[in-house]
Amino acid sequence: MEESNETLCVGIDLGTSRSSISASNGERHVIDSYVGWPVDMVARKVVKKPVLVGREALDNRSMLDLRRPLERGIMKEGSEKDQEAVQEILRHLINVAGIKQKGKSKSRVRAVVGVPAEAFRVSRQNLRNTMEGIADSVMLVSEPFAVAYGLEALLHALVIDIGAGTADFCVMQGRYPTEEDQRTLPNAGDSIDEQLDKLIRERHPEAQFSIHMIRQWKERWSFVGEPRDRVVISAPVKGKATEIDITNEMRAACESILPPICETMLDLLSKVEPDFQDKVRNNVIVAGGSSLITGLTDAIQKSLLDLGGGRAIVVKDPVFAGSDGSLAIAKDASSADWEKLSL
Amino acid sequence: MATVDETKSRLLRGVVQDNIDVLQGFKLQHRRRRRYLAKPWWLAGLLLLGSSYLLRPAGVVSTAHTPATTANPAAAAVNLDQTPESAGPLANPRPIDRGTIPLAIKRIVIDPGHGGEPGAISASGVSEKEITLDVALRLRRLLADAPYEVLLTRQTDRLIPLDKRVAFANENKADLFVSIHVNWLEPRSIRALETYYVGPSDDPATLKLASMENKDSGYSMSDYKKILEKIYVDARHDESRALAKTIQTNLYRTLKPINPVLENRGVKSAPFVVLIGTQMPAILVEISCLSNDDEVKLLTKEDYRESIALALLQGIRGYAQSLNGPERKGS
Repeated sequence: MEESNETLCVGIDLGTSRSSISASNGERHVIDSYVGWPVDMVARKVVKKPVLVGREALDNRSMLDLRRPLERGIMKEGSEKDQEAVQEILRHLINVAGIKQKGKSKSRVRAVVGVPAEAFRVSRQNLRNTMEGIADSVMLVSEPFAVAYGLEALLHALVIDIGAGTADFCVMQGRYPTEEDQRTLPNAGDSIDEQLDKLIRERHPEAQFSIHMIRQWKERWSFVGEPRDRVVISAPVKGKATEIDITNEMRAACESILPPICETMLDLLSKVEPDFQDKVRNNVIVAGGSSLITGLTDAIQKSLLDLGGGRAIVVKDPVFAGSDGSLAIAKDASSADWEKLSL
Repeated sequence: MATVDETKSRLLRGVVQDNIDVLQGFKLQHRRRRRYLAKPWWLAGLLLLGSSYLLRPAGVVSTAHTPATTANPAAAAVNLDQTPESAGPLANPRPIDRGTIPLAIKRIVIDPGHGGEPGAISASGVSEKEITLDVALRLRRLLADAPYEVLLTRQTDRLIPLDKRVAFANENKADLFVSIHVNWLEPRSIRALETYYVGPSDDPATLKLASMENKDSGYSMSDYKKILEKIYVDARHDESRALAKTIQTNLYRTLKPINPVLENRGVKSAPFVVLIGTQMPAILVEISCLSNDDEVKLLTKEDYRESIALALLQGIRGYAQSLNGPERKGS
């Protein structure tokens, strides 16, 4: 990418369900992590585009080879189409952020991308390779670390980033986190979807619904603990729209992720130096799309009672906490550092 | 007390160094402060003996007592050719370029899953054991023209315990191990391909599948997981992953035009017994889903099974060619 006129920093939270970008030009956007290609010439004529990304892809899915290319927070491997889909998402994010990618006045892009805390080296390398032609320099950081950095929760804090694919943990102790300070669990939003799907099918085998409907219901009505209202959805039964009460199923599915999350949190807290455990226990920060589940932080806080009590809060902007934190890292890194990480 | 700016500066140095390490191909393990790093003899022993020797499932009887070598020269080279960095002589293994040591694939063991017992059975009565054997026999025929010696763990419908399959591959000093299976997935609408290589998994569905395939092996899933967490430095892991990727890519590319709704679930790691115990690059491929009626219809067609075998052949050849070694039969 020669002939650059301006240098722009971006923070990207590449999520299994949604991906967000925060750019140094002030733009912030979030998209659904879906990509679709028209299945045939007829579909191509109808959608009028060679490739659709985000909500547009989801809405036109019947005409598309639809991909959700990220699995548990990283690119699916062994599938060229999925890797291509990740590139489309990244390109789309850069594009919607108003960053010029072509022509003489194209911008020089420095990108920080969040990955699961325990992403393997090979997954990180794959992602770096995928960024070629999209950014000029790339840094990959663990997602909860990016959240912590953005919030300046650098000392005596525990960040839990619960997304769709993974729940990521990071204890911040004023130094760059080691592997002992971080964990990744597969128990997150997607596992709630799977559980909810299974529970509703068991109780209402006659009801017809898709995984997309399940996700919409969860995003609207997810909760743990006592329900405030009954959760009544509409789904076709033999073609006829029928109201179904899924309150119990919703609660059971959402609460299914609590035991592993609380257990991991307590385990990480117990490994903090004893002098500081109390401080960290009172500084638990929950981020990510699944942090919006009603009652989740109360349940996490309740589990802290086992260690003598503590305080858990949800970040103000769960959707952009990761990309904002990544942007902060991108802006703070020196040009010399960026040079070392050029693509 | 450090200021926020000082702390940020320290953290940024860590971020940059971490990324440089990934870029340069360092294992991330060197940043760990795991207990076993304080005991380099433990890790050295594991690497020198070869993971499979130590990790052989209970009950495995093997006469191939070759603990100090591995079937794959690259694995031995990578394990032994370590550069000391920080926490002991073998704490920071550095991958080597495969191209520096031309490797030859000479002998391939194909493992048709199940036998004796049926494995998965479709609603119409098609059993996994029949399909896997048929595809394995086809693959052997196709490989007859290739410069490899091919051995099958079974050629008839008979029960072969998993540990015996592992011992067969190890005793015959195979260079590759390919285990063929057919999936059963819920919901039944799923029509997917996936390929596994050795490694731990936190995915409940994968663990459930591994648990079913590992039936009666003697180890619990948590045992496998703990063991596998410790062998990430094993070069066999990376080679198996490369083989899995080539096979999965070829399978999907070949079958998608015939079966347009086929889902590519990619490559995954999982603690299957046959992958843990074998001493060579090893994969387990789920070629279809017997839970889906349309898949069963395709599987009952000879052409489709031939296409699967052909795709497996292309995957194996693709991997072998990537090693740059001379192709020749036998040892």
